[in-house]
Amino acid sequence: MADTPLQLQIRFFAVLREQAGCATLKLTTAARNPAELYAELQKSYALTFPANLLRVAINERYGDMQTSLSTGDHVVFIPPVAGG
Amino acid sequence: MFELTATPIDPADRARRLASPEAGAAVIFEGRVRNHHLGQPVTHLEYEAFDALAQAEGEAIITETEQLYTGTQVHCVHRTGTLRIGEVAIWIGVASAHRAAGFAACRHVIEEIKRRLPVWKKEHHPDGAAEWVNCTTETATNPTLTAYHTRQASLPEVGAAGQAKLAAARVLVVGVGGLGCPAALYLTGAGIGHLTLVDGGHVELSNLHRQLLFTLAEVGAPKVLAAAARLRLQHPAIEIKMHQGDLTATNARALVAGHDVVLDCTDNFTSRFILHDACQALGLPLISAAVHRFEGTLDVFQHGTGGCLHCLWAGRTATELEPQENCAGGPVFGPAVGVLGVMQAAETLKILLGLAGTAAQQTRLVNLLDGSTLTIERLARPDCPICRRLDQLPAPATAQNSELKNLWITAAQLTALGPTTKIVFLLEPGEMAPSGGRNNFQAIPAHDLAALREFVVTGPVALTCRHGLRSAALARLLRAEGLSDIYALKSL
Repeated sequence: MADTPLQLQIRFFAVLREQAGCATLKLTTAARNPAELYAELQKSYALTFPANLLRVAINERYGDMQTSLSTGDHVVFIPPVAGG
Repeated sequence: MFELTATPIDPADRARRLASPEAGAAVIFEGRVRNHHLGQPVTHLEYEAFDALAQAEGEAIITETEQLYTGTQVHCVHRTGTLRIGEVAIWIGVASAHRAAGFAACRHVIEEIKRRLPVWKKEHHPDGAAEWVNCTTETATNPTLTAYHTRQASLPEVGAAGQAKLAAARVLVVGVGGLGCPAALYLTGAGIGHLTLVDGGHVELSNLHRQLLFTLAEVGAPKVLAAAARLRLQHPAIEIKMHQGDLTATNARALVAGHDVVLDCTDNFTSRFILHDACQALGLPLISAAVHRFEGTLDVFQHGTGGCLHCLWAGRTATELEPQENCAGGPVFGPAVGVLGVMQAAETLKILLGLAGTAAQQTRLVNLLDGSTLTIERLARPDCPICRRLDQLPAPATAQNSELKNLWITAAQLTALGPTTKIVFLLEPGEMAPSGGRNNFQAIPAHDLAALREFVVTGPVALTCRHGLRSAALARLLRAEGLSDIYALKSL
């Protein structure tokens, strides 16, 4: 069970969207939580934004980088935004 | 140059004196006596000025106008005494390098004169009757404004009662940039009665594509001054206060106090945290927005509902979070700040009208490139040290130091202080006054600091409110201002 790959929907926001070159993607992954997922995405999309300054939302609710993910989850990575 | 004169104004002579070799434009306005007012025929006028005060206020208006419209030279002459129909009552001439600043400055002077100059006119009617009209109240009570809000007040969710709430509301906008401009403009249009603008910056040419309160004529002007002038044209009855300076940890609570809703239109995390903490401490709703290029975020923070800014960022400091590119130099898609600023205005109006729903537990993400919006639930973190600390503030039992012990008082202890004590209940927007059951009980809007200060003059005052948080924070703030006779009421 723990080894079953998860199918996830990912959304990037702001500077992450620009670095990734897309706002949304679907992914099958061995990652079990947002921290592992982001580490994997950093490699495949050359994301330079540090993980410790990110907020993550899972299924339209803020979570943290250690929250366990399940297949079908919608994961949004949100970097700090300040312009006005 | 400002002058009051009892002798007739000679426009040709005044125009000659305005000439200057640097000036490529001369814009002249003449205010003349007309033969009717509000449908009544008028035969002649008498102008009376409070001389010393009118002279000082006139000079202040000229100085402010020349500061607002860089490179203008303003001359203004106002008549006193008896004037016939067609005679020049006020003459304004502006010499400037270019026409834009000249026209804008000339308009600004006459609007401010009408609004501020202590001058009264006595209108004489053909039947011999006459009445005094205070020129400064004439604009705000203009009967042609009655239809202004018809289309908004006819919304069942607004109505005449809602419109009255908006007119009584006090809203603070911190940052008059890409977010603050559209937010303030829509709040003004909606009929918010009292608006405070905070910004220490000046209008730059690179602001104009998104900060649409400003035009080429205002480049170089202090933003709060330029914005206030533009907003008053939108709604002459609005009362605007300005703070030309930055929000700091030292002035934040004093700036925030006395308002019903606060808008965070700043462009950096340092200001955002300072403003957020001041609003949380005083129990005021904060509507915070931020933009990165084509995308933006909107958060409504309300103490005790949903997560706070510290819950959101879980211990990260402003310095850590400050993005590499910010509003001062980074690329910005104009409509992105426009949309987010207008959303801030919408959330403000909804709070004041009691339509806010669950907005205070949510972050909204907006992406104008793919048109998507996403609402994320923002719950309080059980381990958030800031939320917990603020929750403990109003509890008298936890008061450790003498300042706090001294702050809390029971109704019985208050009565023992003297014959003229008062218990003042602070009302939030839309809240009904509770029945006090005591003859020294009074309920006032929480923003009415002027009334509070007057109460304190007559004797000791204990503040209370629905949760006890806002009243305790305000009592603490007024103590810091040096009012020692103010207390927070300890419920029995």
